[in-house]
Amino acid sequence: MTASSGARTITYSRAITEALDEEMARDERVVVLGEDVGRMGGIFGATPGLYEKYGADRVIDTPISEMFIVGGAVGLAITGLRPVAELQFADFIVNAADETLSKMSKWRYMHGGQFRVPMVLRMPEGATGGGGAEHSLCPEALMLSYPGAHIVVPSTPADAKGLLKAAIRDDNPVGFFEHKALYATRGAVPDDPDFVVPIGKADIKREGTDVTVIAWGRAVHWALAAADLAATDGTSVEVLDTRGLRPLDTDAIFASIEKTGRVVIAQEAPRTGGGASEISAVIAENVIDLLEGPIKRIGAMDVPIPQNPALEALVMPTPADIHLAVKELVG
Amino acid sequence: MTDPKTKLDIYRTMVLAQSWEQALMRLIDENLAPASYHPGRGSEGSEVACTMALRESDYLLYDHRGMAHIIAKGVPLVGLFGDFLGNELGTTRGYGAGIVHVADPDRGVLGQSGTLGGSQLIAAGAALSAKIRKTDQVTMCFFGDGAANRGTFHEAANAAGAWKLPLVFVVQNNGWAVSVPTEYSTGGAFVDRANGYGFPGVAVDGQNPFEVHDVAVEAVERARNGGGPTLIEVKTVRLLGHYLGDPQAYREAAERSTSATRDPIVWARAALKESGEATEEQLSAIEAEAIEQVEAAREQALAGAKPTADVLTEYLYV
Ligand SMILES: Cc1ncc(C[n+]2csc(CCOP(=O)(O)OP(=O)(O)O)c2C)c(N)n1
Ligand SMILES: [Mg+2]
Repeated sequence: MTASSGARTITYSRAITEALDEEMARDERVVVLGEDVGRMGGIFGATPGLYEKYGADRVIDTPISEMFIVGGAVGLAITGLRPVAELQFADFIVNAADETLSKMSKWRYMHGGQFRVPMVLRMPEGATGGGGAEHSLCPEALMLSYPGAHIVVPSTPADAKGLLKAAIRDDNPVGFFEHKALYATRGAVPDDPDFVVPIGKADIKREGTDVTVIAWGRAVHWALAAADLAATDGTSVEVLDTRGLRPLDTDAIFASIEKTGRVVIAQEAPRTGGGASEISAVIAENVIDLLEGPIKRIGAMDVPIPQNPALEALVMPTPADIHLAVKELVG
Repeated sequence: MTDPKTKLDIYRTMVLAQSWEQALMRLIDENLAPASYHPGRGSEGSEVACTMALRESDYLLYDHRGMAHIIAKGVPLVGLFGDFLGNELGTTRGYGAGIVHVADPDRGVLGQSGTLGGSQLIAAGAALSAKIRKTDQVTMCFFGDGAANRGTFHEAANAAGAWKLPLVFVVQNNGWAVSVPTEYSTGGAFVDRANGYGFPGVAVDGQNPFEVHDVAVEAVERARNGGGPTLIEVKTVRLLGHYLGDPQAYREAAERSTSATRDPIVWARAALKESGEATEEQLSAIEAEAIEQVEAAREQALAGAKPTADVLTEYLYV
């Protein structure tokens, strides 16, 4: 993508850094905490320079204490600060499961609305070759069955920046999943310091008329690649990026299906029990009569992610898998 | 040393908590409130005397045992009854009922984690928040001997020790976690754990609330003055069951009757009289007043409306 006027081409990780930097400058209540986020600038390089600029009180290198990172952030959030906490790998959400799913997500509700929990939990996710079964997951759907927090998954630098800024300004807790394989990807990002992307609004990343491919996070790029492949068959694929799982932009999903009558849902998480399953159910319940064929789900194999990168690659879904599903639908 | 006026205040608040609990039990008897409650009889000495070392702007993470710490923090009794009745007058606007999540942000009452130990982490966060915001607020976090064995304690205590957070941990060691005796479930002494995290631990007898108060005042002052956290282990007793109606078949009669001799309210009453710091008339007046205050609150709370379905999603998202 080339930068138009009022925009620059930057990486996804730079977009994250800029969002944090700008929001920290804008609001002194914003603090960042997590393992290695300060002196090192994050093991994925998403927080460089913040420690030097804002100091140890606002950019906090925590002990290796995931329960404290999330539970402590809830304590910060209900006492006047706006923490952006980071779990070094999204897989570690289960190391802080109660703090994430029950404290962060439920504190306001359990106490009859007496508190706000304005916090963002950043979670680098995904398989990037050799991370293994405990450092490769996309556990976004884990949060789905625990109401109380938004679930945001950006796929581009512009979305990463705009959605993170929106998440920090939001008074609700937000689970924010950043794909590790996207950190080095580049894209145009508007310069406007008040550029935010509203949470819960889907984005049509490519327009098409024959099949809708719904995806979020890294799978959006697989869907775009599959759309290129399908174009060579003369099939026009629309790629709808949900930008997360909650709130879910059902209006946009139904509108796209109304146009195409066919839908594939692609995710990186294992096929069973992921966001695609929920979206399938929502589509079936509401607009099944608009469909000309079955709802197709694409996801990783239902196995733990193997440590061996060659085996990992065999487990991961590919653009070819999505393309095949598209072909099956158009017959 | 706790001065005579404070001693009387402590006694007054303990009696108020006792009267409140008795009134709650009556509501439960009358089938007006759900029967899930963990009676606090026996731990008033610890809960009241520690909490009274705090200011209104300080933070409190209370525990599930009784309501004496919450009452000592000044939360209005009507709100507490409303919580158990599950009506709009409750601090949680009708959400709570039974084992409740009382909340009173204006008085620093930050709520409760129903999963034991969760509050330890939130307390560490609240203490870190005060440090970052450069206020002189102190956070006090209560939990039982059982909850002290959760890994959450380790993570909270380590962070508190590393960063000298203004935090006071109060371990209410009543010898039991439901049916499991502390000496069976616990390696070492809770008080000794503090040293491992680089801050002081103090053990104190919860039957003597005046001594508990001295210890708590010192810990709160240390926290406020930048001296970091303290762990107070209060040796206390559980005079009743784990929950209302617990038959306690796991408890020996002898142990129960020894516990019964360690009631902090009975002890404090006798001590105040014996020292001449209060007369029989004064003490009786305090007790009568508490009952009156509780009755008035109960009557007022009973008039609250029950919540309707429209609140079900009201507090989910801002
Ligand atoms: C994480 C978690 N485990 C278990 C329980 C169930 N539970 C509630 S109270 C309790 C006993 C707690 O003992 P202790 O901390 O000593 O407090 P006490 O009841 O003696 O005051 C248990 C097991 C819970 N609420 N949360
Ligand atoms: Mg106990």
